[in-house]
Amino acid sequence: MSVMLSLNAIRKTFNPGTANEVRALRGVSLEIEAESFVIVVGSNGSGKSTLLNAVAGSFLLDEGSITIAGQEVTRWPEHRRAKLIGRVFQNPFSGTAPAMSIAENFAVAARRGQPRGLSWALSHRMHAAIRDRVQGLRSGMDDRLDNAIGSLSGGQRQALTLLMATWLAPKLLLLDEHTAALDPKSADKVIELTREVVERQRLTTLMVTHSMQQAVNLGDRLIMMHKGEVFSDVRGAEKKRLRVDDLLARFDAVRRRECLDDSAAELLRKTYV
Amino acid sequence: MNLLLGAWTIGLIMALLAVGVFISFRVFGMADITVDGSITLGAAVAAVLLVRGINPVLATLCGFLAGMVAGTVTGVMCTRLRINPLLAGILTMTALYSVNLRIMGKSNVSLASARSLGSWCETWGERWFHGSQVPVAGYVAASRDVAMLAAMLIAVSFVSLLLYAFFKTQLGTAMRAAGDSPQMVRALGGSVENYQVIGLALSNGLVALSGALLAQYQGFSDAQMGIGMVVWGLASIIIGEALTGGHSLGLAIVGSIMGSVLFRLVVALVLRWGLNPNDLKLITAVFVLVALVLPRLLQRRKAAATA
Ligand SMILES: Nc1ncnc2c1ncn2[C@@H]1O[C@H](COP(=O)(O)OP(=O)(O)O)[C@@H](O)[C@H]1O
Ligand SMILES: [Mg+2]
Repeated sequence: MSVMLSLNAIRKTFNPGTANEVRALRGVSLEIEAESFVIVVGSNGSGKSTLLNAVAGSFLLDEGSITIAGQEVTRWPEHRRAKLIGRVFQNPFSGTAPAMSIAENFAVAARRGQPRGLSWALSHRMHAAIRDRVQGLRSGMDDRLDNAIGSLSGGQRQALTLLMATWLAPKLLLLDEHTAALDPKSADKVIELTREVVERQRLTTLMVTHSMQQAVNLGDRLIMMHKGEVFSDVRGAEKKRLRVDDLLARFDAVRRRECLDDSAAELLRKTYV
Repeated sequence: MNLLLGAWTIGLIMALLAVGVFISFRVFGMADITVDGSITLGAAVAAVLLVRGINPVLATLCGFLAGMVAGTVTGVMCTRLRINPLLAGILTMTALYSVNLRIMGKSNVSLASARSLGSWCETWGERWFHGSQVPVAGYVAASRDVAMLAAMLIAVSFVSLLLYAFFKTQLGTAMRAAGDSPQMVRALGGSVENYQVIGLALSNGLVALSGALLAQYQGFSDAQMGIGMVVWGLASIIIGEALTGGHSLGLAIVGSIMGSVLFRLVVALVLRWGLNPNDLKLITAVFVLVALVLPRLLQRRKAAATA
């Protein structure tokens, strides 16, 4: 199967040379096949969001290269990469323009990666197409297409953002804890929609989650991160068999190893310094 | 009567400034002080061309284009050179002061003997009303003034409709979204930086257009005429929002126009009642300050009351 995303030893350090220096990505290499659904988990601050942001082009890398669908995009700015990428953020406010109507938000999304000219953003055909798509959510929002999107709940906004991100099928769908800010019920709904959309459009997906349950139930590959590195990569039958307990055990193992490393370093320091 | 007629006309002309400030301040959330320089720029360019005998419509259009260039300069400073937007505006405004003097060659240019929209309106007025005077609601008004008001009403309506239509296009919609949620627009492939530059260009173009029309209405262009204009624009927007509650784009644009006219009428009245014109800018500034702070104070009051 063809490779959709390939990361080649990417590195990113924030605030280099200062007291706040953070080595957020310490040489991550990954190859993700087309149509695979990859889950990313890791403790807080392990670099999951930074990884997705690096792919999306929110900042330029210090080192390494990124190829999406055969195109080397390492130096492309974020808005140019958007041609290939659909995104949903953790914060429901980031993915939508709150003061604008649902329909207008979709109209902007419908031109992702295409030139925007002086034709009407919302033609009748466009409006009807949006209604169709939103109707599929069966949440009554199709009657409110002209209402400001800011008047909706976080869950509704995330669902709409997901539909907007996938209006034109992206080469790569990036989901960054897109249910973390939601109550459990809305989170379940958005996850159900995610599964549906990814399956129907056969999207190559990279999804960060804080929920071990989601990590186990969803996707066909699981990547675990710690301190800016990928320490575990599970796929195929092994991913299918994986349970929450196995996940926790793996994390514990890393932490213990690290404790050991820290104390070992301490020991060495005491001995030699 | 002549006073009110004048206030209406200036109010309409300044409505273009208000709508321009609306783009930078409300759509993109920037306080762009380039405005103070670009209104004079529009007036200066139009005046100099008119004195040379250029067609008034063409001269006015050139004023508009000059304003767009000024806005582009500020926009490029903010986005490409990463200069604080307020500072970028101050730099352009300051530079424009010299540029405007260069264009005019002196500190003011009179249009008394030039063919302009003003002289056209004089001719039209006399033709329509068969004389230089015309009765309006029981008073006698100059037919030139009535013709000017009519012409400005048509011009401002036309420009506002065009602007409204522009903001409903793919580009315009993406620009509004970029002001509302830059992160979203980037993720959807829009260059927020480019949109800001286009927005500032458009904004200052409209402001300069307003300056070009103002020069032709009052019969001269003056290097000092731009001082404090951005605050006038802000005041108009705020009054407009209070009048229309304008949350939709159309209401906001109509509100800015209404706000500008109302503001001018109030100014004409208080001046008539004997307010010292020198105090006008102080009062306007205080008004805008209060209007910006008041909603927040009220909100805190309400929060405190319910808590
Ligand atoms: N724009 C930034 N500037 C400075 N530090 C950052 C920035 N983005 C992330 N970091 C830091 O990089 C580390 C990894 O962050 P992140 O990728 O957000 O972690 P998470 O795995 O929780 O998503 C954290 O220590 C965070 O503080
Ligand atoms: Mg994160």
